[in-house]
Formats: sequence, C-alpha cells, structure tokens
Amino acid sequence: MTDLDQINPLPSGPDGRSWAIDVRDVRKVYGSGATAYEALRGVDVQIEPGEFVMLSGPSGSGKTTLLSIFGCVLSATSGSVHLLGKDISKASESDLARMRRSLIGFVFQMHNLIASLTAVENVALPLKLRGIPRAQAMADAQAMLERVGLGDKLQSVPRDLSGGQRQRVSIARALAGAPPLILADEPTAALDAQNGLSITQLLKSLAKTTKRTVVVVTHDNRIFHLADRIIHIEDGLIQKDAS
Amino acid sequence: MNDRSLASRARTMAHVAVHMVFYDKLKLAGTLLGVVFAVVLSNQQAGTFLGLIYKNVMFAKNCSADLWVLPPGAETFGPGRVLSMADAMQAKATPGVAWAEPLLVVASQVKLPAGGSEPITVVGVKPPYEAGGPWNLVSTKASVLARPDTMIFEDGDRENLGGLNVGSVREVGGRNITVGGFTWGLIPFGPSYAFADFDVARELSKTPQDRASFVVIKVTEPAKITDVKADLAARLPESVVVTRDEFQRLTIRNLLFKTAIGITFGTSTVFGLIVGFVIVSLSMFSSVVDNIREFGTLKAIGATNIDLMLLLLVQATIFGVIGSVIGLAIVSQMAKGIRSAKLAMSLPPELTFGTAALMVVLCIAASSLALLRLRKVEPAMVFR
Repeated sequence: MTDLDQINPLPSGPDGRSWAIDVRDVRKVYGSGATAYEALRGVDVQIEPGEFVMLSGPSGSGKTTLLSIFGCVLSATSGSVHLLGKDISKASESDLARMRRSLIGFVFQMHNLIASLTAVENVALPLKLRGIPRAQAMADAQAMLERVGLGDKLQSVPRDLSGGQRQRVSIARALAGAPPLILADEPTAALDAQNGLSITQLLKSLAKTTKRTVVVVTHDNRIFHLADRIIHIEDGLIQKDAS
Repeated sequence: MNDRSLASRARTMAHVAVHMVFYDKLKLAGTLLGVVFAVVLSNQQAGTFLGLIYKNVMFAKNCSADLWVLPPGAETFGPGRVLSMADAMQAKATPGVAWAEPLLVVASQVKLPAGGSEPITVVGVKPPYEAGGPWNLVSTKASVLARPDTMIFEDGDRENLGGLNVGSVREVGGRNITVGGFTWGLIPFGPSYAFADFDVARELSKTPQDRASFVVIKVTEPAKITDVKADLAARLPESVVVTRDEFQRLTIRNLLFKTAIGITFGTSTVFGLIVGFVIVSLSMFSSVVDNIREFGTLKAIGATNIDLMLLLLVQATIFGVIGSVIGLAIVSQMAKGIRSAKLAMSLPPELTFGTAALMVVLCIAASSLALLRLRKVEPAMVFR
C-alpha cells in the first residue's frame, strides 16, 4: 500500500453519516450595505467520501465561492460547514491553514505553479509544508510525477512545460501526500478539448484508484460524462443535483 | 504542530525564497544595485570622514605622550591658544612624570619660487625631538632638526611647496629654511605639518619665550596615569590636563559638533542608507505584487503568514548580504585607488561589518512594507 492508498478514517457528521463534505444552509455575502452581493443563498450539499463530483453553472453562479468554502480559503457568512467531519465554521485562520495543508489538494485553473521551482520541487512543496522530510518528499513527488506521465520533466521549470503538462504537475501536486479531498477549479479551462479530457480522465483515474473525494468546478460540458454526480448552481442556489 | 513540521516549513520557505530571488534576475540586479549603492555611498562617506578624523587626531595618537596639557579652550591640535612655559616646568617636577616637553604649534607660510605662498603648520619640538617629534619619516632622522634653520616637511605637499627636495631652501615666515627631510601622510584637515626645532618655530612666529602651545607628558608607570593627571590638574589650575584618549575624543567632538564636517558627512552617510532602504523596500514590495498569485498559492496550500514572513526575511537577508559583500569589495578597491598622503579612507572592521549588519537589518526592515501587503493576500484569490 502506498501513501496514496491510505485514507484518514472519517468521523461522523452531524446526522450520523460520514460525509466528506457537509454544508447546510450556507450563505455568503460579499461587501456590505447597498453594495452587498449574496453569492450563495442557502446552499445544502453533502458529498460522500470517494465521490467524483462536478459543480457546474454559469459565470457568477456561486460555484467558485462554494469551492472556496470547501477549500477553507473562504468563510461562509452563515450556515454550517463540516469538512471530513470537522466543523470549520468557526475555525481560526491557523486551523484553516492546517486543514488546507493536511487534508486538501488544489488544482487551479491557471495551474498556479511556483515559477522558480522545478516540477518536482513544486509537487514536493505541500509535502514539505506538512513536515515530510525533504528526501521523502522529493521521492514521493517524483513518483507522483511519474504517475501523471511526467517522469522525464522532473527538473523542468513551469515556463518550459506546455499548458497540459503544467496542469499535470498541478494535479500531481494536489494528489501528492494523499490528501483525502481534491478540489479543482476549472482545470480544463486553459486547455484544448483533447488535453482537457485527458487531464480530467487522469484526475478521475488517480482519485478513484486512491479513493479520494474530488470536487471539480467546471462549465465544460465535454467532461460532464466523467462525473459521478453533477451539481448545477445558478444565482447562488442549487438548481439540480443529479448522479 | 510539532517542531519537525515547523523546522521543515522554515526550510521549505527558505528554499522557495532563494529560488524566487534568483529566478527574476532583473529584479535581483535592481535590488542589489540599490543595496550596493547604499553600502558604497555610506562606507565611502563614513570612511572618508573617519580618515579625516584620523588626520585630526593623528598627532595625539602617534605621540608617545600619556598626558597632554592644553591651554584653556583648546580642543584640537593646532595653532592658536598658548599656555605658560612654566606648566612644562611644573609637569617635569610632578611625581610620576618620566618626561614633559613643550610643543609650539604655529601657522606659517612657505614662499614659493614662482611667487605666492602656501600655508603650513609648523610644529616646534625640543631636542632630542622625540616628544611630539615627527614620525613616518622618509629617508631622514628627526635629529636633522638640530641643524641650524632646518625643517622636515610633508612629502605629500612637496609639489605644492614648489617642488621641495632634501637640501632645498625656502623662505618660511621671512626666514630661509633648509629642507632636512620628509614625513609621509602627515596632512591634517588643513595645512600640512612641518617640524622645526622649538626655538626656530618660536622665532618664526615671534612667540614670547615663556609661551608654548601644549605640554606633552610621559608617566613612569602607565597604571598611575589617572593619579598623575589628577596631581597635574591640581598643580596647573589655569590649564587643562587630559589623557591621550581624552584629547582624541575632544578633537572628534569638536569636529563633529563645532564644524560642518560632521553634519555634511553624516548626512551623506544617512542619505546612502536611506536610498538603500527605499530601493530595497520598493523592490521587495513590487516583487510581492508581481508574485502575488504565487504567494496566494502558498497560502492556499497551507503556508501561514509567519511562513511567508520567514520567506521575506530570507529574501531580505540575501539582498543585504550579497549587496553588502559586493559593495564592500567596491569600497575597498576605491579606498586603495584614492589612497594618498592627502586623502586616505579609513575602513576599520567596525565600520565595514557594522555597515553590512546595518544593511541586512535595513533590508529586513524594508521587507516589512512587503509583509504588510502579503498579510492582506487572501488564499481565496487563487480561485479568481
């Protein structure tokens, strides 16, 4: 068994079931007074461990806001948010940082790799932040890059990689260290159709074999067929939730 | 959070910091240029200032006297105020005094062969010309001053004084003086020193026989300097008795606070440091702005504000250390290049290491502006 195959045991949620993500009546308001804007207007979502879920919806629908709340990078204005059984509604900034560090892997639309670090150093970065010794982190990062087909690009810096390769590095970084939750924001937006499909297939395949929970924000209908479940959001409300 | 995790994060941030610094070579060059400029300017100004200070205290520093008797109000070694020759007699008679000799320091002029004249500061010394006598001698001995109407001039001023050579004769204060030899580097902040027999100096300046400028004193036991000084002060109530170090401090204080030199050089030195501070500050701030997405990513994947503060700290230290090393290398070459009898930069380790340390501290302080910006970076920005 590799690190990737070890999922943290999940504690029970408020209703006794074990949810990877459990948000109830979540609202998010940006700004205040006359300029206040309600991005989420009472959202309820429960996602089971190991599910591969896509959040879809038009621009400004609130899907990225919801993903940010799942990712502990944004706090809800009201409502309850349980992540892997932990109530993060009132967590401190340092607790949220610790959650992000140890439980969540991110895949960003623009890959967001550190330009000055090589591919293997980028992938090893979250591992080292978790306290994994350098040699171990580098070995794990190398193994992860080999799994995404970039074994020959370990020492390449992002500017020397194609868009698809950068996104593969980003996926390797998200999956390295086996975080139980992977959140991806429009991972195919900057890629052509072929690359977009292959990146999503790769993400799903790696997540399924290692039993990760994955939430992908996308409006790319070419990849919808890969989802276990699609949640459609519009105007800050869930309009459709279908498997 | 365990210590291993903290140490690992610290090492990781240091690693990222180093890579970020060296990745953007243009910004690195710009920032280093600012630090180098600050180090060079501040060291050049402070070094020149220290060189000037040295030139003004060199007499007290090089004279073997332990104690000096000064006329009231005198704070520097130079012509002007006089004291009674009786002070020298009193000093000689004081217990614990090995020797005590008067010095006469007078302003005079050397008439040039091509017309005109140049000022010099004549130091009149009593035989055997050791107490307050010339040093850094070039192919001569102090004893040549025993020859009639003979003086030792400053090598660095030879051309100014009409191309002096040993044996040249010049009219000094209306009297024909033969050049007996040269010293090297004895040019204070003013006319160069020229040494003469005490009586020659007195006759040149028409100083009364019972007057002298200073009395230099050597004590028999160095451990008893304080006691001898107190005894002398009691015996010479109308004069001021100081140790060698006190005389140097008095001169430096005079230079710093009673002339424009201190404020001029001090301003330039501080200006250099401020320029460095501003450049580093702006460079680091713009670096954070340029890389704001990377910092947001670091936060999103779990780095805390403290981690990012450490990253900036490492970057600031790199800028400070590399900039200081380059700057000091340039300054030391400059010091060698401009070294002459008239101008010598003084770059003691306290100054160079002190400036380097200060520059690192300034760079770290300069990073605080960037840190303020960094603290406001929301990890959620990575999803926008």
